[in-house]
Amino acid sequence: MNRPTKALITVVLLAILGGALFWALRSTQQAQVASGQNPTLNLPGLRATQTVELSGLIALDVEPFFKDQRVLKFLADHGVKVNITRVGSRDMAQRVAATGGPDFMFPSGIVAANQIADAAKRANMSATQTTVFFTPMVIASWQPIANILQTNAMATSLQPSVYSVDFAKLVATMQAKTRWKDLKAKDAYDVNKSVLVSTTDVRKSNSAAMFMALAAYTMNNNELPTDRATAEALAKKVADLFKRQGYQENYVNGNFDDYVSIGIGKTPLAFIYENQMLTHALTKPLQPDMVLMYPKPTIVNKVVYVALNEKSKRLGELLAASPEMQAIGLDYGFRIADSGAFMQKAAAAKLNVQEKLNDLIDPPSFETMSLMIDVVTREMSQ
Amino acid sequence: MKFATLSVGALTRAASLALMAALVVACGKSEPPPKPTPKSTDAAPKSVATSTLNVLATSDLRDAQPLEAMVQKATGVTIKFTYGGTMESTEQVLTGKTTADAAWFANAKYLLSDPQGQTRVKLQEKIMLSPIVVGVSESEVARLGWTDTTKVTWKTVADAAKSGKLKYALSNPATSNQGYMALVGVVAASTQKSEALTAADIDRKAVADFLRGYKLVGDNSTYLSEKFYEQQGVYVNAFINYESWLLSMNQSGKLKEQLKLFYPREGIATADYPFMLLNDAKRGEYQKVVDYLKGEEAQSWLAKTTLRRPVNPAVASAVSFPGGTLIELPFSPDRGLADGLIDAYLNEFRRPIASTFVLDVSGSMNNHGRRGDLINALHSIAGADASLTGRLARLSSREKVWMLPFSDNPGKLTSFEFPPATSTANAQKKAEVLEQVRGYATGLEMKGGTALYDAILAALNAMSAEQAKNRSYQYSVIAFTDGESNQGRNFAQFKEAYAALPEDARAIPVFTVAFGEANDSLLKEIAKMSGGRSFDARKTPLPAVFKEIRAYQ
Repeated sequence: MNRPTKALITVVLLAILGGALFWALRSTQQAQVASGQNPTLNLPGLRATQTVELSGLIALDVEPFFKDQRVLKFLADHGVKVNITRVGSRDMAQRVAATGGPDFMFPSGIVAANQIADAAKRANMSATQTTVFFTPMVIASWQPIANILQTNAMATSLQPSVYSVDFAKLVATMQAKTRWKDLKAKDAYDVNKSVLVSTTDVRKSNSAAMFMALAAYTMNNNELPTDRATAEALAKKVADLFKRQGYQENYVNGNFDDYVSIGIGKTPLAFIYENQMLTHALTKPLQPDMVLMYPKPTIVNKVVYVALNEKSKRLGELLAASPEMQAIGLDYGFRIADSGAFMQKAAAAKLNVQEKLNDLIDPPSFETMSLMIDVVTREMSQ
Repeated sequence: MKFATLSVGALTRAASLALMAALVVACGKSEPPPKPTPKSTDAAPKSVATSTLNVLATSDLRDAQPLEAMVQKATGVTIKFTYGGTMESTEQVLTGKTTADAAWFANAKYLLSDPQGQTRVKLQEKIMLSPIVVGVSESEVARLGWTDTTKVTWKTVADAAKSGKLKYALSNPATSNQGYMALVGVVAASTQKSEALTAADIDRKAVADFLRGYKLVGDNSTYLSEKFYEQQGVYVNAFINYESWLLSMNQSGKLKEQLKLFYPREGIATADYPFMLLNDAKRGEYQKVVDYLKGEEAQSWLAKTTLRRPVNPAVASAVSFPGGTLIELPFSPDRGLADGLIDAYLNEFRRPIASTFVLDVSGSMNNHGRRGDLINALHSIAGADASLTGRLARLSSREKVWMLPFSDNPGKLTSFEFPPATSTANAQKKAEVLEQVRGYATGLEMKGGTALYDAILAALNAMSAEQAKNRSYQYSVIAFTDGESNQGRNFAQFKEAYAALPEDARAIPVFTVAFGEANDSLLKEIAKMSGGRSFDARKTPLPAVFKEIRAYQ
């Protein structure tokens, strides 16, 4: 792996985000150090003399990127041919196999990437994680809802159609089983339903796990759970916020699809990746009363490429370090180290976004996260 | 007794739905012979260049059949729809019994909230939307006092049904998404719960109130519409179904008057039509079809022709639908809720069934194992079929059954009556009566000719007399035969005698079931003139036919 490039990206990011994203790259570096080797590699930009053929499992989130002709051509020019199969991120870890398994996996987020790395470790394989893109978790909502939350001191306006939402207050409101009709100035949404943020099914999806991490952090007085008992207790509380929603979509776009196509009547608040909204805005008409809410504190999803053998490492480098690939990532709504380029893309889509992400939290450790997901899974099946 | 404990099975709701469906399907619902795709899909070799996709679709999607040709033209993929009810199709997918490559359901939440179902479904994409709404004959709106459309809730609907003012058509809650979700809407409105319901929330009184207005019963929307066109303004004044279906009826020109649509406030259940990949080897075909279905051409066609709401935002922004902001009911994945509601519906709330089984015991029934088939079928409805669809078909609490065997002449009428499910003593009694029905079936002996028409007339007269005594039952006649009538009245004489029956008797539907050498066209005619349906046991096994009939009773 070419450390200079990686380090450079880290520095740029640190400068932009005031250190908040340090963790996002730290684990990547650690994984690379752990794998302990750095064989000679073609630098990105140099043509490979030989074509390497790789098979990989990818998540729905990155499928359009991987099917982009520009990406395929770039990779071909650099001697990489990929055969991809789309599967759910959480189903990837079980497909890790020392022989006959895929060469790489590209799940939708860090939770699944860590599960894959863990599965690889148990299979005595070395897994190399490379963060390719990132995107913050946001709440897609509607202007009338934003107005209500603002009146009730849960949200503040940052710019037109963009709000900051006090996540601790919002979670407390959800836990108190407050109904929309109980809120002040509720006329635009005078509804018996409880205030709940809709998520996908945590048993299947990365984004719901990010919700869990963020909710648990705020429920725990802005601390990450570190011990088992605390993590279990928090997971049970979060499970309640999932269960009370009733049926949750169990594929990544399900929740966002409902937001876009059914709208405020079903999903007044939808917990999504920012890139889902930007991708939508880049390709489809935005409804005028759609708004984005950035939770405070917030959490960022890293889109992590996992190489499961030597020959697949290079693809990760090509994706993460070549400006061409990074620029194409913008077309799919992802953020990259070049924040200015991201802002230009959002402006082109006429989508207002928040450039600076303040008050970022880390997700809990892999072990804690796994434990909490297990607890929620158990609670949900009761 | 097995019967009483079945509903509480450790099976998950979805799994039990599934099981029920599985059995029905196992019994061979009229499916076209599917390609024998090996089911262990991961290992399945890619089928060689056969660009086909067999799709199991819920029956409300029959109106989307022209898509077969459109998809073929646009993508080169041959898609072929097979239709089934929601519960039954869910069961087929859950159990892996279906050989379809993909499934397209109005609502797949029953399937997708089940862990087993999640493993069956490899990919999914929502294609279109249609909320379940209440259509009311325009002239009745004022009488109901429903002038402010935004105020109508499922509670309002239940109250109007209770008062006798609202008399509606609805697909069977035990087999269809529309029927089941309507019950859920009523329960949600009565509890005023602000989030997903559980079994503990079932308000039995509210459900009973609502079902007092349930006057037109059936299993598929096409059948219900035909009956509704005839009976609108006489026996029924409302239709609960998908918005798309009711809008289509309004455009059909067949209604006596237009239906005004009410979107129950805070009680909307929207069908979202996920298109799901089941067979991993068909990813390529699946993706092409989905891309086409979500593209502008198909979305515009679906919106304009089938009147469902498009999911493609570009198309959606160009069409408009009534209803305003629709507040969606959370869908409860709680199996106890579904089990409880469906069980309560069948055994407690629905209008109890009173029917006469007209049984052909002519000598020809001894051929080709027909006697055994008939006896087995009677055994299965009398409690031997433990599947979930089996539960639907089984004789239920409060039901009355008469057996009328016939050969050279109509035979002796034997009656069986099941007590209400109110006590363990009654449960015991019910078990005993089921036992008697099974014993009766086993004792059937077959000889002599076929006096079918005389037997049907005798049954109609008997039912009509019972109806005059007690109108709280849903009366019907079910006639089984394997041959042409060759004793007693001929068909012309039968028609004459039928026409002379009192109106009440003619309102009792006759369901006919043909096997052996039965005369199809005449049986169909009998079903048609009486408002029943004809079934063919030569194509569909008898137990499955029974299950279908039950959904129309």
